Amino acid sequence: MLTDIFDAGPLITACKFESQGKIVIDHLLSGCCIAIAPRVEEEVAVLGAGYPDGVAAGERIAQGAIQVVPVVARKWAQHLADYALGDGEKDSIELCGQVEGVKALVTDDYLAFVVATRLGVKAWMLPDLVLELTERGSLAVEAAQAILKVIRPRYRVGVIEHSLVRLQEVRKDAESGGAGRGGDPASG
Amino acid sequence: MLKVVVPVEEEILRAAERRKAAGAGEDIAQFLAELVSLGYEHRLQQLHRQFEAGEISLGYFASELGLGLRDLYATLELRGLPTSNIGAKPSIAGG
Repeated sequence: MLTDIFDAGPLITACKFESQGKIVIDHLLSGCCIAIAPRVEEEVAVLGAGYPDGVAAGERIAQGAIQVVPVVARKWAQHLADYALGDGEKDSIELCGQVEGVKALVTDDYLAFVVATRLGVKAWMLPDLVLELTERGSLAVEAAQAILKVIRPRYRVGVIEHSLVRLQEVRKDAESGGAGRGGDPASG
Repeated sequence: MLKVVVPVEEEILRAAERRKAAGAGEDIAQFLAELVSLGYEHRLQQLHRQFEAGEISLGYFASELGLGLRDLYATLELRGLPTSNIGAKPSIAGG
């Protein structure tokens, strides 16, 4: 199963929004392993414990559904030093270079996305992970569509629209059993 | 509201006193409290512009403002602003 490193922003979004009777993170956890840095746990589940999504994240961490992985090696400390990134974002990027079998960094932040990409780390936005899981058959197209629509308020114009077009391509691809990708980062 | 002692530039204090003397303003402390609130709002908007431009991350934004990341997420959400800065700016797209 895929392991994805979540930055704080998408983790909050995934724990906050509900679709088809369960929160988005539970849809995702059925198709991938999610790991986070301790700093992200602190930002979302400890300092965010006053919010229902912070409680939801904390519960899933306590159950072991979301893994908290300490950052033991900072091989990119110098590379990251002069970027205006927060500690959570830096640690999430470092984890990608540390944990075996990481598929991608999931971040909705432009700077973290660009920096991770420059370091050779595959970066996805949360909607990209939804698409990836759909392509792999871990998430039904209808469920993916419902998730993309419910998280839309957290994104700028273009992002969800792009993902919905890609989702239709995934649906057609699955129906025809052929190729036909649209150049989305999730297709890599 | 909490009360704290803070140093104030003489020029600002004189302005507050002149406003009060001219009957243009309210209590000096209230005027100064309003300036602090305006300064905080200005800082938030300044950092938000940098975030929107992709110069700083959400985590850095929160840290510079002195908020937890989850509280900043809530602040942006309350204002109807996206918490992601990838994609077209809402103002450009009319969204």
